[in-house]
Amino acid sequence: MTRPPETGTDLLVLHALRCCGYCGVARVAAATGLDEPTVESDLIDLAVAGHVVRPSGAWGLTEAGRAEDARRITDELETAGARPVVTAAYERFLELNPELLDLCTAWQLRPVDGVPTVNRHDDPSYDARVLDLFADLDRRLALVCADLSAVLPRFARYPARLTAALDRATAGELELVTDDIASYHTVWAELHEDLLATLGIPR
Amino acid sequence: MRWVRPVSAGVAETADVIGAKAHGLVLLHRLGLPVPAGFVVTTPACREFLRTGSFPAGLAEELRTATADLETRTGRRFGGGDRPLAVSVRSGAGVSMPGMMSTILNLGLTTEATAALAAETGDPLFATASRRRFLSSFASALTGTDVDAPHADTEASIPEDAADQLTLAVRAVFSSWNTPRARTYRRLHDIADDLGTAAIVQAMVFGNRDGRSGTGVAFSRDPNTGEHVPFGDVLFERQGEDVVSGRAPTLPLRALADREPAVWAGLLDALRRIEAHYRDACYVEFTFQAGELWFLQVRPGRFTGAAAVRVATDLADEGVLTRDEALLRVSPHHLEHVRTPRIVAPDVDVLTRGVGACPGVAVGRVATTTDAAVRMAADGPVVLVRPETSPHDMRGLAAATGVLTARGGPASHAAVVARAMGKPAVVGAGDLTVDGTSIRVGGRTLGEGATITIDGTSGEVALGRPRVATGAADAHLHRLLAWADDVSGDRSARGEAQRLRDAHAALRRD
Repeated sequence: MTRPPETGTDLLVLHALRCCGYCGVARVAAATGLDEPTVESDLIDLAVAGHVVRPSGAWGLTEAGRAEDARRITDELETAGARPVVTAAYERFLELNPELLDLCTAWQLRPVDGVPTVNRHDDPSYDARVLDLFADLDRRLALVCADLSAVLPRFARYPARLTAALDRATAGELELVTDDIASYHTVWAELHEDLLATLGIPR
Repeated sequence: MRWVRPVSAGVAETADVIGAKAHGLVLLHRLGLPVPAGFVVTTPACREFLRTGSFPAGLAEELRTATADLETRTGRRFGGGDRPLAVSVRSGAGVSMPGMMSTILNLGLTTEATAALAAETGDPLFATASRRRFLSSFASALTGTDVDAPHADTEASIPEDAADQLTLAVRAVFSSWNTPRARTYRRLHDIADDLGTAAIVQAMVFGNRDGRSGTGVAFSRDPNTGEHVPFGDVLFERQGEDVVSGRAPTLPLRALADREPAVWAGLLDALRRIEAHYRDACYVEFTFQAGELWFLQVRPGRFTGAAAVRVATDLADEGVLTRDEALLRVSPHHLEHVRTPRIVAPDVDVLTRGVGACPGVAVGRVATTTDAAVRMAADGPVVLVRPETSPHDMRGLAAATGVLTARGGPASHAAVVARAMGKPAVVGAGDLTVDGTSIRVGGRTLGEGATITIDGTSGEVALGRPRVATGAADAHLHRLLAWADDVSGDRSARGEAQRLRDAHAALRRD
């Protein structure tokens, strides 16, 4: 069996902007696993081609860039013959998505005397229980991501980033659950957007 | 019967056995209020089903008997005859939880029964629409997806026989106890995994029957302020979940007073009787068919914040509660919410109401894209208005002072992000649409730049800058806290929540 082809760095950068929206070099680097000089160099080339702009400190796609990303990502999908696998994975992802949102809500709000109250994270046993459930969800998502990265290796970044966010949160960096650009919720949302973009499903 | 109980005033079992919803229906019966005939399949039957994977011995026969009894009581035939019987099937656990199966409406409307219903009513459009609703609500219940999602494959697998439909529906209710979302909810909230859910089967009343039909929800008092006025939404010529789902623009409850005065009077009378029973504000779901009112659900109001304070003091003034009881009705945690800014009546031009997802009030100009929000925020506050939010909107959310979405609930991405950033948020505003650079809401079109105000507690969306107040219940709060100090005997200066906590401690000592 031949190894599926790796995505080129310029497409990784272009597609990171498609999945993250406007963002800075550091976030693109985190999303792609590339170093910052490589990201910056690719961004400049993409800007020259009219695919990205940097209107106010953050990089984002132009209409032409969005179209270019759609064309190349679809081409990659079809060339790899990956559509059936990605479609099936997306359906499994959609089953997990409501659980993720429930868990994020449980992390942020906690019913006290029947009133949803901001979770001040002053009860370690409650937080630990929620994080355990995140870990359980993460194990099930990892199976979906394994199927995805077997046909499109770029998807392997997601489980790595998600598990890292959870590890850091468990070690005490509580903002890594929902309140940071590297948070579990944010990376999950990027994966959601990536699946939609890859399959060409409009929001 | 071992596994099934008719829903009637005589049922003695607790909510553990028949579920909280059926328990509420029994209460409505006891208060002499109109409830569609029905029966409940108990939680022990569910536990057996979950243990063995099939119905316990005797349940199939009991379902047949209960259905036949329902036919006798309604004078209708299930799945056919000249006067067809259709039913609703609902889950009803001891506590409601996300992920559980929601309502299947119009079950039993087989092809034959639909034709019979068309002939009986002389309204083929009504009959066909009701059958469509049955198929889509059943398919959505079986797949756990939204009722508006396409389900052609699932719909094709729905059995044609009415009794088979009922069996499948009860199985679906029982199985939904173990959806991952429901399991997660139970683990988070320390609810035992082995309780199981009941299933409620009731004769349909059709809110979509004609111009004198409809459906609604009502609180006996305003859940935002606690004021003693009936509060809620009504939809004419619509069915069941349409009000709660935000799928259609609703009318304020008072619209009933003009269009259906008898229904309105019946509703007010019922709210009085239910309040007298609970000795608390209450919530009901109702349907009226051809001018006749029916109740489908009841529970205590469970008000929070300023509304909880107002209701407790008012009920003490009305002589319903003693002052001590009123104090115990209010949790110290409620007092923290009293201080959240809120839109206050009157003169509020309310455009629509969604679900409050992050408390607080945001006033700003409408921006319909992240780019616009970032651009416009340089000149003053903006409210980001989106169909729903994706990671693309993070930058817009960061730039905006608040967020309003047409879709999604309190656990949507928008709500999660808004709370992470501490921004007031209203989500799931059902009649809101975003077209390019304008929004349509409440029958009006607003361009980008129009000023709106959102209240992340009540979910209200208002035009312009209505009056906003923090701690609008001051008079009531002061009285309650004075009672609290009388009880604790402590008049030293300290926080409001602490004054109430001291009173609770003193009352619990006595």
